[in-house]
Amino acid sequence: MSTTTSTGMPRRQPLRRFLDYAVLSVLAFVFALPVIYLFLGSLKPSDEVLDGLSGFLPTHLSFDNYSAVLDALNSDSTGYFWRFMGISLLLAFVVVTGGLFVNSMAAYGLSRLKWRGREAVFTLVLLLMLVPFESVAVPLFYMFNDQRNTLPILALPFIANAFSIYQFHTFFRTIPPSIEEAARIDGAGPWRTFFAIIVPMSKPAFASVAILTFLTQWGSFLWPVLMVSDPSVRPLPLEMSVFQGQLPPDWGQILAFGVLLVLPVLVVFAFFQRWFVQGVASSAVKG
Amino acid sequence: MSGPAVAGLIAFVGIPFCYAVVLSFYNVRLGSPLEPTFFGVEQYRRLFTDPDLSGPFLRALLNNLTFAVVVVPLQTGLALGLAILLNRKLKAIGLFRSLFFMPVVFPMALVAVIWRLILARSDQGMLNSALDAVSFGHWGAFDWLGDGLTAMASIIVLSVWQGVGFQMVILLAGLQQIPGELYEAAELDRASRWQQFRHVTLPGIRGTLVFVAMLTSVLSFRVFDQVYVLVKGGGLDEDATRTVMYQAVTTAFDQNNIGQASAITVVFFLIVVALTLIQRRVVRPGNED
Amino acid sequence: MNAGNRRSRHAARTGLALVLPLAALAACGGGGGTDTAAESGSGTGTISVWAHQGQKSEDTALQNAVKSFNSSQDKVKVELKLIPGNDYTKTITATDASKLPDVMEFDGPTMANFVYNKKLAPIDGYVSSKTMANATDASKAQGEINGKHYGLGMYDSGLGIYGNKKLLDAAGVKYPTGLSDDWTADEFTAALKTLKAKDSDGKPLDLQETGGYNNEWGTYGFAPIVWSAGGSLLKDGKAEGALDTPAVVSAMKTFQSWKTYVDPNTDGNAFAKGRVALSWVGHWMYPTYSEALGDDLVVLPLPDFGNGPKTGQGSWAWGIGADTKNAKAAGTFLDSLLDDTNITAMTTANGAVPATRTALAASPLYKQGGPLQLYSDQLAKPCGDTDITKSCVAVTRPVTAGYPTVTAKFSEALNSIYGGADPKSTLEKAARGIDQDFSDNAGYKIP
Repeated sequence: MSTTTSTGMPRRQPLRRFLDYAVLSVLAFVFALPVIYLFLGSLKPSDEVLDGLSGFLPTHLSFDNYSAVLDALNSDSTGYFWRFMGISLLLAFVVVTGGLFVNSMAAYGLSRLKWRGREAVFTLVLLLMLVPFESVAVPLFYMFNDQRNTLPILALPFIANAFSIYQFHTFFRTIPPSIEEAARIDGAGPWRTFFAIIVPMSKPAFASVAILTFLTQWGSFLWPVLMVSDPSVRPLPLEMSVFQGQLPPDWGQILAFGVLLVLPVLVVFAFFQRWFVQGVASSAVKG
Repeated sequence: MSGPAVAGLIAFVGIPFCYAVVLSFYNVRLGSPLEPTFFGVEQYRRLFTDPDLSGPFLRALLNNLTFAVVVVPLQTGLALGLAILLNRKLKAIGLFRSLFFMPVVFPMALVAVIWRLILARSDQGMLNSALDAVSFGHWGAFDWLGDGLTAMASIIVLSVWQGVGFQMVILLAGLQQIPGELYEAAELDRASRWQQFRHVTLPGIRGTLVFVAMLTSVLSFRVFDQVYVLVKGGGLDEDATRTVMYQAVTTAFDQNNIGQASAITVVFFLIVVALTLIQRRVVRPGNED
Repeated sequence: MNAGNRRSRHAARTGLALVLPLAALAACGGGGGTDTAAESGSGTGTISVWAHQGQKSEDTALQNAVKSFNSSQDKVKVELKLIPGNDYTKTITATDASKLPDVMEFDGPTMANFVYNKKLAPIDGYVSSKTMANATDASKAQGEINGKHYGLGMYDSGLGIYGNKKLLDAAGVKYPTGLSDDWTADEFTAALKTLKAKDSDGKPLDLQETGGYNNEWGTYGFAPIVWSAGGSLLKDGKAEGALDTPAVVSAMKTFQSWKTYVDPNTDGNAFAKGRVALSWVGHWMYPTYSEALGDDLVVLPLPDFGNGPKTGQGSWAWGIGADTKNAKAAGTFLDSLLDDTNITAMTTANGAVPATRTALAASPLYKQGGPLQLYSDQLAKPCGDTDITKSCVAVTRPVTAGYPTVTAKFSEALNSIYGGADPKSTLEKAARGIDQDFSDNAGYKIP
């Protein structure tokens, strides 16, 4: 690519460049305000958090709110902060890895293998993609009522995911058949072909599905609201709402809790950003 | 090979959905000592003809629709604007991209809490206080979340803030796939920037744009978390923001009325499917893949 | 993977999809229908306890009670779990009796529902006769259904308006000294108007709106308006004609008109910091308020809407899970929990009225001339839940298994009215909703 940018505006003048930066900076600032407020507020005494514009003044900063949150949530009866986080991490891990396995396999079977009824099953998957989880939450809540407050039921419904299958499916379709033929000539069965050849080739798709699944799972709220009351199996976002509901509200601590809730995802995001963009792009653009 | 996932989908989506259909024909309560009794279409009759129930229910449908009709074009348009702005070779452009994307990783339960403070109805609320400052004290405290007119707008704003980065990233990727030569050619033809946008950019990302719009509209029908958190603890006007999903969940969980909640679920599902099918009809012809 | 026999598979799948739900409906549809019975057990071992998560100070008092019980003996070990107050009742309802703990707390008015749903076992025979004898009459009455006791409380509740004497006097507002010279609703509104003029942000009243009113606080805190207007939430099993009378509608209009005077109190400090002169709230704020205001704190009755001042009554109580395998140990724990040490610690933490005779007698707060004498005066004039006359004060919320519906519909209506909805149609709608639900549930008759 020459000096021309991809939007095709050649010979950028310094003034234009300055304008670009100005517009972007203003927008970015407005966009970042709530985030700044969150981080700043988490470091301020509670009565200064909700105090009009001076909520933005960096005064009396300390980590007191953080230690107060960790102290408040540190017993069997209230549950432990790190346990809430551990549960969220565990659920995310199980749903992401389990989902990568079964959904990629399913997509492979549906896109590359030939078997009777394949089209019918694929249509079924497309149809199920239309069923939002929300619309089966009520019957699931009733069906699995005796599983309340158990960990498996928090993860199981989310492992098989029609949208993930669809994403893998669109990616796998772009792989040239010649590659598999070569493997077949070497005597590899479909399983070996899948794990030894297809999976390594599909890193962007895996990354994209993994990160999307992680994001949705980490913020998962509705299902835990319905299924969990016991603090020993409560995931972090649900605890956030519990913590916020406790009277009298301590906004500094609530915001500190919020930072702790979002930090793990921010870290994941910071590390996997490139994968994310590539992955999302590849499945969406070709889809 | 497709077995496990398909089995999972049937067990956790297919069967529950069929079950919802069955339950919607019963008078069934959670934890009640009474046996469920067959109710025929009574639940549906109430939803559509009993004014006490159909009122909130139809209002919820309308709220969902309002949300979708506003959010889909707004969020898609904003995402496209941001994507175009960010599709440049400037220094630190990656930083800007990350900034706009950042809210996407925020769980909705947290987003709701942050905005609850920003929109707080006292004059200590961030927005009220800012408006007061720019109007030199002429702005009284306004109840953004509690007022029937602004409650839904508040939900929309915080939802778009949280979600727009996602669509932006997808569109950005779409933009980057447009060959630079096309712009160079357009440049040679002395095409104005608008003409370039109209005849090079838009056709180049048409498929992506359609995908994004569809994704947004499906998502916008599922609004629940932010409404739930803000109604329970933030003084949000319930009538003006109640969504169908909120209605279903509170009917099931707060009132233990599983039969009624199932009927709401079924109607909700039919509407989502119908809308999706219509949408596909409309966008398909030009978008054969 | 190639499906050899797609048709039969398809048929099987369709069959499964059809049969499974029906089987499940038959299996769990009965809900609490399965027979559960408490077993007295060995009296030793570990028991689980659920309690509602309330004010932080209450939680601490309870945690301490458990801690000292666990360390005082080694026969019974208690494992306490706190569950958010606003979700507490639904949580119990949604949990199958077999998964409920050995000991659980419950909100007084929901007890009838839990007995109906077979979530609670009678405590008679497990709790010592000494504990039973020392409970106040109100506490015992709240816990009794058909001659059996299902729960006892640590405390009863008190509801009133806290006043900041300094601010009231500075504005020249006249306020009542007790129940006998209570203010009318009009006088109260006039007081608000006067205070507004003196208030820096024009918002002199706190109604604890932070969590909204669509919850038990809504019913507990503001059903007294209904009663004081001569209405009731439920009369002879029907809400229509009780909840939506013209007097109640007009009282609710007055309530609605107060919103302009209300500090949203998002930080929970409005009264303690002197931002408002009046705070309409229950006993649980007393410790905070008295610490902040000292001698400037006065406790006033709720305004009279025509049928005399009214207040709520009844509070959280403790019972034994219907399916416990260790009711004896549960009883041992309850005996300890309801002793004077624990009750005094708890009521010191939350300002509530002690629910045992000895603790009440020893309390300096509730005696004649004590700072919370109003609460004991109110409770000394009980109305019960049906006979709400002009002279009685403390009203019990409707004792019916359908209470969850009553409170859900009423608090929802209250919340909408506060938000600006038309009181008449909103109350009528709530009344119809309650009656519909009662008829769907065969009147919630406890067998």
